[in-house]
Amino acid sequence: MAIEKNYYTIDPQGRLKCFKCGVALVKGKAKFMYLDNGFPVELPVCPVCGFVYVPEELALGKVASVERALEDK
Amino acid sequence: MSQIQERGSTHVYKVNKISKEEMDAMTARCVYEQPSFCSAACPLKLDVRAFMQAAAGGDFKKALQLYEKVAPFPLALASACEAPCEGKCRLGEIGDAVSIRAVESAVARFGEGSKLGGVFRMKKRKTVAILGADLLTLFLAGELEKKAYPVTVFCEQADLESYLRACAPFLSDALFPLEYKRLQEKDIQFEFDRRPDAALYEEIKARFDVRCASMDAARALFPAAAPVQELMFLEEEKLVCGESAGVLDKAFGAKKAALTVDRLAQNLDPRNMRGSEGACESRLYTDLSEAKSLRRVPCGEEGYTKEEAVREAGRCISCHCEECLKSCAYLKHYKKHPGLLSREIYNNTQIIMGDHPLNKAMNACSLCGQCSVVCPNGFDMARVCAAARRNMVSTDKMPLAPHEFALMDMLFSNNEAFLSRPQPGFETCRYVFFPGCQAAAIAPATVKAAYLDLCARLEGGVALILGCCGAIADWAGREEMEEQVRAQLDRELAKLGDPVVIAGCPSCAKELRAFSGREVRGIWDVLLELGLPAGARALERPAALHDSCGARGDEATQRAIRALAAQLGCTLTDTPYSGDRSPCCGYGGLTAYANREVAAELTDKCLERSDAPYLSYCMACRDRFARQGRESRHILELCYGTDAGSPPDISEKRWNRLSLKNELLQELWLEEPMEKKRDYQLLWTEEGRAMMDERMILADDVIAVMDAFRENGEAIEDEDGLLVARRRVGNATFWVKFRIEGEDAYRICRAWSHRMNVVKREG
Repeated sequence: MAIEKNYYTIDPQGRLKCFKCGVALVKGKAKFMYLDNGFPVELPVCPVCGFVYVPEELALGKVASVERALEDK
Repeated sequence: MSQIQERGSTHVYKVNKISKEEMDAMTARCVYEQPSFCSAACPLKLDVRAFMQAAAGGDFKKALQLYEKVAPFPLALASACEAPCEGKCRLGEIGDAVSIRAVESAVARFGEGSKLGGVFRMKKRKTVAILGADLLTLFLAGELEKKAYPVTVFCEQADLESYLRACAPFLSDALFPLEYKRLQEKDIQFEFDRRPDAALYEEIKARFDVRCASMDAARALFPAAAPVQELMFLEEEKLVCGESAGVLDKAFGAKKAALTVDRLAQNLDPRNMRGSEGACESRLYTDLSEAKSLRRVPCGEEGYTKEEAVREAGRCISCHCEECLKSCAYLKHYKKHPGLLSREIYNNTQIIMGDHPLNKAMNACSLCGQCSVVCPNGFDMARVCAAARRNMVSTDKMPLAPHEFALMDMLFSNNEAFLSRPQPGFETCRYVFFPGCQAAAIAPATVKAAYLDLCARLEGGVALILGCCGAIADWAGREEMEEQVRAQLDRELAKLGDPVVIAGCPSCAKELRAFSGREVRGIWDVLLELGLPAGARALERPAALHDSCGARGDEATQRAIRALAAQLGCTLTDTPYSGDRSPCCGYGGLTAYANREVAAELTDKCLERSDAPYLSYCMACRDRFARQGRESRHILELCYGTDAGSPPDISEKRWNRLSLKNELLQELWLEEPMEKKRDYQLLWTEEGRAMMDERMILADDVIAVMDAFRENGEAIEDEDGLLVARRRVGNATFWVKFRIEGEDAYRICRAWSHRMNVVKREG
């Protein structure tokens, strides 16, 4: 089986909790999508309800720069 | 509120072509790349600016290298050149022209020559013979040696010294040895004591690939010779020769002849591919107002010393047209003259696949049109950038992100915050007041006072329209949205009985005049007629009047504002770049949204003109100057004795518009506004509020997130016990970090957003 590439990985290491489900977030599979482009990533995800968390640093850093690059395509 | 559809994909492989003619018409007005007047007058095309710059810096080696490009025997040329360049020097119009020839002569004497002419250089295979001894053939020999042809000169003279004397008899005793040494160092073969006769001609025809001759030698061989002057070519004999008049003409003749030799050596027609030859006209513009050193450095009989030449070269003002770059912070930011920047922006629109590197530059122009006034040829960067934006939108290649906030703001102004009513007691009105979206956002109390005043003092009824004129869609290049706004306003104006529009903003006045076909007046004109309202007051200190870019070319408005300021009793200080030459505050063209850095530089450029408080007649200008910390007032604030105070943040700007609408609806039209009530309380940290403004996140976006949280309870709890909730609103996902304070209250600590959509992936 081919190894799936992840563009970015964040492991919450038990530091974050889902407020609704009351369980710790785990490293889970997610996908960023923008202008018909998709990027598989691993982010903190609630194992029960599936809430995907995008921390501030990621949103303003990597995500913002990829957005800008795609917008100018 | 409706949202704007994001473009679907980056994979759009179509472009909306702009014709080359259209492009050429756009760029032809920029004269930045035109040669200086002196260079244009020189048939040899010496780059005088670069030459003078090198000489002025004492770099005679570089200067001589530049001169040797056009003159293989620099002393021979510089000693007797007729120097038409000096006649064209612009300094000659206000003082002494630069003594270009004397500087050239000094450079030729003191400079270190190029070492290109060595015997080890790879030579071309085609051989050239030159018959006779005159200045033109001496120059030609030098030109051909530079081009690496094996050259042999056949002359009657017995040795090299007498050959040079015959070619350049005007060389002084002091200069002769220098030029003689230069000639010795060149890789040119000589056959002395060879008279040009038929036997010799037959010999060289057999031995050489290309033949050249002085005109005397050509006549000795062919008495009826009439060569084609443009080519320096006697076609029937395939002999390179031609007439020439002065010393410079001989140097130019040698250049033309060398090109003909080049073409013949390659068995090509000497008529073709010659490029532009000779002197030309320059369309360059030069500002002479800052020229300082007007008197020429006196030159002795022996010519300039090195120091004198440096000083004289230093007088050169290096004619360049930089009028727009001097006045426009945008062009200065990109460090490109508009001809070049336009070409790059044009190319940007024509990219089918891949990155569009000029998107940011295209969207950073404030479309203010200042360049069209300061440019001596009226180059209009606004036309180029606006056309490029519309072009990109039409092919779905325009990113929405840079303009989305402003466009959403326009939709807000023309939906939730929109108001159109006749004056109470009237069904239709003679007038309608249109203050503009920024006035309502920044100074709502002033708008209210103005409307009440107009209602009280004008007869026939004054309706009110609170909304956006559509300029924002126009600036963003979104023609469809602009049409929608126009249709909406047209409908409303018709319902109000097609009243005369009284605009509170020069940009709105311009926009409404352009599409509605109705009479549009400025409120400043109306106030001049009615007289100032009670409570009007002047600024206590002298103020700098900043002309709005919406009033560029509108002398009547500029005059009316000054008259109004005078009636108010304001003292205005003079500033550079006023009237039609006024720069943009940074709001125009949506620069403030698309490129904050350039917008800040534009604002600084406005403010560097004076230390005084700024008086403006566009609310966006007032706002940007105040945000930069300058005391800043709109003229209507003075007229109505109001003070809009410190500039509102982006959320307050929306709240102000909505509150003004609701307040007027209640007080004047006795209508109960539709206000959404929240059943919980939001508290803001100062840090959170500042962060929202900086990141263009509205209080409404935060409320949308908190509404969602209260409904679904979805949030993340971090190690500090703070909660983070999120919601996708339109084309962005907003995240809010908050603390629960009591039962129904939340304190907002941080907020961020991203445009990418994130989803859980299965597997």
